[in-house]
Parts: sequence; C-alpha cells; structure tokens
Amino acid sequence: MSMIPPREGVRTFPPSGLAKTELASPRTIDEACELLARSGVEGKRTVMLAGGTDWIVDRQLMPAEKAVPVDRVIDLTRVEALSSIAFHETNGERRMTLGGGVTYWALRRDARVLGTVPMLGVMARDVGAVQIQTRGTLAGNIATASPAADGVPALMALDGVVVLTSAREQRRVPLEEFFTAYRKTVMQKDELITAIDVRVPNDGAIVTWRKVGTRLAQAISKVALAAVIERDASGVVTRARFGMASVGPVTAPMVNVRSLVEGKTLASIDRAALGAAVAKDITPIDDVRSTGEYRLHVAKALVWRALHP
Amino acid sequence: MIRLVVNGRAQQVDAPPLARLLDALRLTLGLTGTKEGCGEGECGACTVLLDGVPVNSCLVAIGQCEGREIVTVEGLAIGEELSELQKCFVDSGGAQCGICTPGMLISADALLRDNEAPTEDEVRDAIAGNLCRCTGYQRIVDAIGDAAVKLATIQKPAPGASGDKSGA
Repeated sequence: MSMIPPREGVRTFPPSGLAKTELASPRTIDEACELLARSGVEGKRTVMLAGGTDWIVDRQLMPAEKAVPVDRVIDLTRVEALSSIAFHETNGERRMTLGGGVTYWALRRDARVLGTVPMLGVMARDVGAVQIQTRGTLAGNIATASPAADGVPALMALDGVVVLTSAREQRRVPLEEFFTAYRKTVMQKDELITAIDVRVPNDGAIVTWRKVGTRLAQAISKVALAAVIERDASGVVTRARFGMASVGPVTAPMVNVRSLVEGKTLASIDRAALGAAVAKDITPIDDVRSTGEYRLHVAKALVWRALHP
Repeated sequence: MIRLVVNGRAQQVDAPPLARLLDALRLTLGLTGTKEGCGEGECGACTVLLDGVPVNSCLVAIGQCEGREIVTVEGLAIGEELSELQKCFVDSGGAQCGICTPGMLISADALLRDNEAPTEDEVRDAIAGNLCRCTGYQRIVDAIGDAAVKLATIQKPAPGASGDKSGA
C-alpha cells in the first residue's frame, strides 16, 4: 500500500538489493533484540519485517540504482509474544496491551477487543482489505510513521503508549510524542515496538471511528478521525481524546480541540469556535488524494459529528 | 533451501529468502495460476492462502513461509474435478479475462471455509481486496452465494487441496 509510481525497466528476483540478504527468524522478543543489537555492533544494514505491506512494496518498486542493499532482515512474524492481547488495571484505569505483531485481522475478530473497544474492530475493517488486514500489524503501522495510517489515530485516541524494547532497556513513549516529523519517530536503531498499551474508555463514552476515502476498501484516507469523549453525570466532558489522519506531517492529536471541549457540556460547544480549533490543530495539504480545502472542511465536520452522534 | 507445503505437497524451494512468495510460486515452482496484477498489494490477483488465511503473495517473502502451508488456485480442484465454488464461477459467468479469477476464488474459498452462510455484505467484504475490471462484481458475488448454498446441501469436500490440513 505504497504511493510509489509504477515500476520501470527490468524486474528482478528477488527485489533489487535483497539477493544476498540474510533472513533471521527469531522466536522470542529477547532473540529479536539480540539480533538488532548484534547488527549494530557488526555494522549490518538491518530491517525489521512483519507483514511487508509497506516495505516489500517499496523494495519491489524501487529503482535498482536507489535500492541500497540490506544485509539482514529480521522476520518478526514468528515471535509469538508479539501477538498477545492482555488486559490489566493500572492506577485505577482499565487498560489493554496489544502486542506489536497484532494484525488488523486479529483485531477485528478478537471477541475481547470487540467487547471492550469495538471501535478498534471497526477501524481494522477499514484498513485495506482482508489480504492487507491478515498481514498488516499495529507496530508496522506505527513504525512506518505515515500520517495516513489508520491504526495510529485510533490508538492515539485511546491514549496509546508505545512500548519500545531493546537489549539495553524498555521504555514507554506516548503515541503523541512518538512522531517527530513526516515519517520520523523517536525510535532508536536497536529498538523494537513490542506493544501498544491503550486505555479502555469508560462505559458510556462516545467512541468514534470515521474514515473518509475514495472507496470503502483499499483506499488510503483523505481524512480519518478517532475520538473518545467521556462525560460526568452532569454531562460535562471530563476527557476528550482524538487522533486525526492525513491532515498534517504526523497524526494529529487535536490539542486545541481537546482543551476547548474538556470542561464543557457538548450542547454548549459553539460550532464556529470548534471549527477554529480544528483549523489550528491541522495543516492539510493538496496531494494526489485530496485538497487541503476539502480536508479542512471534512475535518471540521468529523469533529462536530464526533461530539454530536 | 526453503521447505514448505504447497497445495498439500511438501516442496523445497531454492530461492533467496527475500524473494517474493509470488515469484517463488510462479518462477520456481511453475505455479502460474497465481497472477501478478499491481505488485503493490492493491489488486488481490496474487492472493493465496498462507496457513489458511488470504494474503497477497506479492507482499510475503518466501523465507517467511518456511514450514508453512500455501494453497494456490491450483489446489482448489479435487483431482481433475473443479471445486463447487469453481463450478459456480463458471455457471454464473463470474470469470471473463481470468486475471482476477484465481485471487477471487482463493478469497471466496477462505470465506466459505470460515462462514458457511455468508450475507451479501460479508461476501463483498471478503472480495473487497480483489479487483475485477471485466464482469463487474455482481456475477462473482452471485457465484459465491450459489456456492455457499450448494456446499450446504451436499457433503462438504475437503477444504482447499486434498492434503490441506488447515481446516475451516
């Protein structure tokens, strides 16, 4: 699912720069981290591979002269621990830890996920189509760091925290702080995304997922919004979290909208003021999929509707 | 050497581990039923089953398939006899130029193993990643619906290839 133009010239088997690449198949997170650390010591150009829905396309379509050879690929699809889904309670919050290797296909079919955060299942159905969902993983979606990622806004609205593991340490980085620029992240070369820890919304929360694209399946979004709105007994918003895709260089957490909405009742929110906050939070551009003007219009409408279901 | 099971038969593939599964099937094993359409995971022409689930074989490295089971369109027929699903595609006019057909059949086969009585929405969701530029989709959707009805009324054939053990 890449935006690289159609290939030219001779096809290669395997893709350029991969003829001599070693494929390592660790079975545990420790083994994977060891391998990454060793690659650093040995100076080997190393890539981590899960579903391949971005990387293999990029390599296949890359012009041969640009295809820098890769020494080692670490296949993460055999690390069983990366597919786990577990629940826990921390500081009185119900949370769910999704392994980095959890696929969209697993998300949309897991009864525990659908029972606690149905929005994740709805989002997963909107990713590509079945053949992409069976391969694409949450960690892959995060590591690729595309602002058009579907999984990232959903996880961001759920206060997602990325768990990064290396042979040195394990650290936790909130998704909001994970992306530093277009396709850039805080990840170090020896780190692996082992899990994403999300907060389960309170009962009664308004939870929204809405993807706007050219067609339902196999479309990259023009705009997508995930939102979680929690209110107290008197209807005052106690917590508002968002993630918006395809409206800037990185997934937008919509902080101005958040502070506008929190502490108010939904009925008291002024539409013009909300629209102004949306405009402050995003920097949509014209590209092959849409225009900046249309994206801004849709973004305002999606946020308004998320607050008025 | 990569060892895997293809259409019920143990195979050894002599290919670099980062070669695409699609190329290994077509160029190394000579299984040209699986087609390359876009080569970027959009069209589904190269769909095969990997341990029972549909994947685009253009997005999988052959090395990732060590010890795994693959079913291609060649594995759907039982001997010389087409599967019920394949017969329904023929009868309903669900195939024209044939480029999308192998992938359509694999996606539909996976659906019917998982769901004996799919709704039309479920059928359309299952083949949403398979693009057809000839028939439009209605006849394909009809064929899959017919196959579900026929399979429910007759004894269920072994799923996929005769040696496939992945089950429903």
